Amino acid sequence: MILPALFLVPFAAGVLSYLARRRQQMEAINLGAFALTFVLAVGLAAQVVRDGAVEALGGFLYADAVSALVAGLTALVGLVTAVYAVGYLRDDERNGVLGGAPQGPSPHAKLRNCYALTPLLVASILLVALANNLGVMWVAIEATTLASVFLVGFYGRATSLEAAWKYAIIGGVGLSMALFGTVVTYYSARALPGADTLAGLNWSVLAARAGELDKAGMRLAFILILLGYGTKAGIAPMHTWKPDAYSEAPVPAAAILSSAMLNCALYGLIRYYALAHRSLGDGFVPQLLILFGLLSMGLSVPFVLVQRNFRRLLAYHTIDHAGIMVTALGIGGALGTLGLMLHMTYHTIAKSLLFLCAGNVYQHYRTDVFHDIKEGVIRSMPLTGAIFLMATLAIVGMPPFSLFQSEFLIVNAAFAGGHYLAGVLFVLFGAGVFAGAILHVGKLVLGPVGPEVPAPRRPWRDSALLAMGALLVAIAFWLPGPLLALIRSAAQVVAGE
Amino acid sequence: MTLSPDPQFGDKLINLMAALVLVLQIAMAGHRWLVTNIRIFGVQPFLLASIAATIGWFNHAPHLYFAAILTLALKGIVVPRLLEQVVQRVGIRQEIEPLVNQPLSAIVSGGLTLLGYVVAESFHRPDAGGAPESLGHNTLAVAVSLFLIGFFMMINRRKAVTQVLALLSLENGLFLAAISLTYGMPLVVELGVFFDVLVAVMVLGVLVHRIREAFDSMDVSKLDQLRG
Repeated sequence: MILPALFLVPFAAGVLSYLARRRQQMEAINLGAFALTFVLAVGLAAQVVRDGAVEALGGFLYADAVSALVAGLTALVGLVTAVYAVGYLRDDERNGVLGGAPQGPSPHAKLRNCYALTPLLVASILLVALANNLGVMWVAIEATTLASVFLVGFYGRATSLEAAWKYAIIGGVGLSMALFGTVVTYYSARALPGADTLAGLNWSVLAARAGELDKAGMRLAFILILLGYGTKAGIAPMHTWKPDAYSEAPVPAAAILSSAMLNCALYGLIRYYALAHRSLGDGFVPQLLILFGLLSMGLSVPFVLVQRNFRRLLAYHTIDHAGIMVTALGIGGALGTLGLMLHMTYHTIAKSLLFLCAGNVYQHYRTDVFHDIKEGVIRSMPLTGAIFLMATLAIVGMPPFSLFQSEFLIVNAAFAGGHYLAGVLFVLFGAGVFAGAILHVGKLVLGPVGPEVPAPRRPWRDSALLAMGALLVAIAFWLPGPLLALIRSAAQVVAGE
Repeated sequence: MTLSPDPQFGDKLINLMAALVLVLQIAMAGHRWLVTNIRIFGVQPFLLASIAATIGWFNHAPHLYFAAILTLALKGIVVPRLLEQVVQRVGIRQEIEPLVNQPLSAIVSGGLTLLGYVVAESFHRPDAGGAPESLGHNTLAVAVSLFLIGFFMMINRRKAVTQVLALLSLENGLFLAAISLTYGMPLVVELGVFFDVLVAVMVLGVLVHRIREAFDSMDVSKLDQLRG
């Protein structure tokens, strides 16, 4: 019964929040629902580790280790950002940035939109992870776009509308390509028994008989899916919506977009990789993935180096990491997929934490341009500054933090698999991003003593920051046994071994 | 008059209607008035619905009738009206002002059609033209061409409404591919597709309206503050 409840709980929370009249009710609904979702996701993960893949509703929902991992990470980010959002949105309301233009929506209506859309976004991400039918998965991915377009345009400024427009149009085109890919996949599977029934597009059915898929069809389908879900994941050259969307959305939503939604787009890609790789073998599929992955990594380097705005810096960073994960998928094998799954886990924790820190800085100084912040962040916000710096060190792959382990594993896999050029470029691009991020964030955090007043205590946000920061430190030294088992079996599902 | 269930006849009928859809798409790419564009777009779903119904008739796949009715209701009637309302409400200029002028647009569309035929080459099976289950397989080339021309229209146009229109006509190509390649995908998926088209139009409609408020213009080329 866990499977349907897992995405119905946040869905119900979205509807209830929309109907709620007072801010306290919306906050309570969100916090309660995300806490329950997290418990359910942990329960699902435990069940999958114990019993293997589970099904519900007659095979409509299906969860193996990959689904359980993605769902668990989504629920974690959802819970932490829900706690953070309480403080963040209260401050937004106090600062009067929610607007109150005569014709525009009232601040209260805006608050309601945010509290209703965030759980709906999480619900659709969870449905992506749990849907067995590839068509339903596509519908759920489109639903994430619909929910998040309004979050990106939330503040109603000219720049937010520009970002929302780009996001809707580019996302719409990407999803139309993904749908074309889904159609062609169905065509490739027409020879399988039961292809004309509702279960004909179920991943569990297709993966078991991937060798019998039509090869020409799968080739075309994989190109379309890579372009389509790649747009959603923001890999180059379809990444242009990403810096705009991440820097215009409310920070709690940006944290979800940059970690959980990236995972969900990659999840779609991973499912099709498994089918296409089993059908077409080595060569075409891995090469295409490595090409796009390295392109994303390389393209983000100059933008990280010259960036003037820290939320856009984080967005280009996410493009870099999307590239890392796509490259890892392309390298494949037992080692590459293990690196991918570890990296996905670590990146989700570190990147959402970074966005939460950036939100504190943005709200305190009312700007996200490095140049306009005259003092070191750590002077007036010691906790935020320290965690910001720590998370930056973690995300650029500084040992002892765990992203070093996963990236090291991926580079190892590249050389072991004979992808020498890819391995060398991977390290080079990694060094470029390392330099840019450390330089910018180091200056921002460790600047001189300035005239700003120290920030007041912020219990909601500080506790969210501390919890996620503690998790980031903890996993650097100790990965719990069941979680490692889940990650290992997720890697096995993808590698097909 | 009784319709003879001769697959050859069905195949010809489908090819004819698919060709008409393609002609309309090229006409859209080459036409200069916005309202005419919306009306041409409104005709396409009628042909697509007829193709779906024909395939459904010859293959005894009744769920395709359902898809045909949905297409007709949503894309043939609701969506064009919605778009015309948006156009009237925000009072935008009627001329489309593409980046590439109209005659050249028509030629580019012709070139893209050629490309569509090249892409669909590996799926082309002329020998299977008579069997009922392969009805319409040869319209894949048309579907790919519709898709590509839709892309071209999106790049070529600057106004927000025309971009929405191009996105929707691109999805017409998808629909044709879905019904011709797979004689209808499983029903859950069809429902999802139409639901999403409808909601997407509402989202974009709201956005178009708010962009107008914020910029006093419908020109998306003015959306250039976010860079780097």
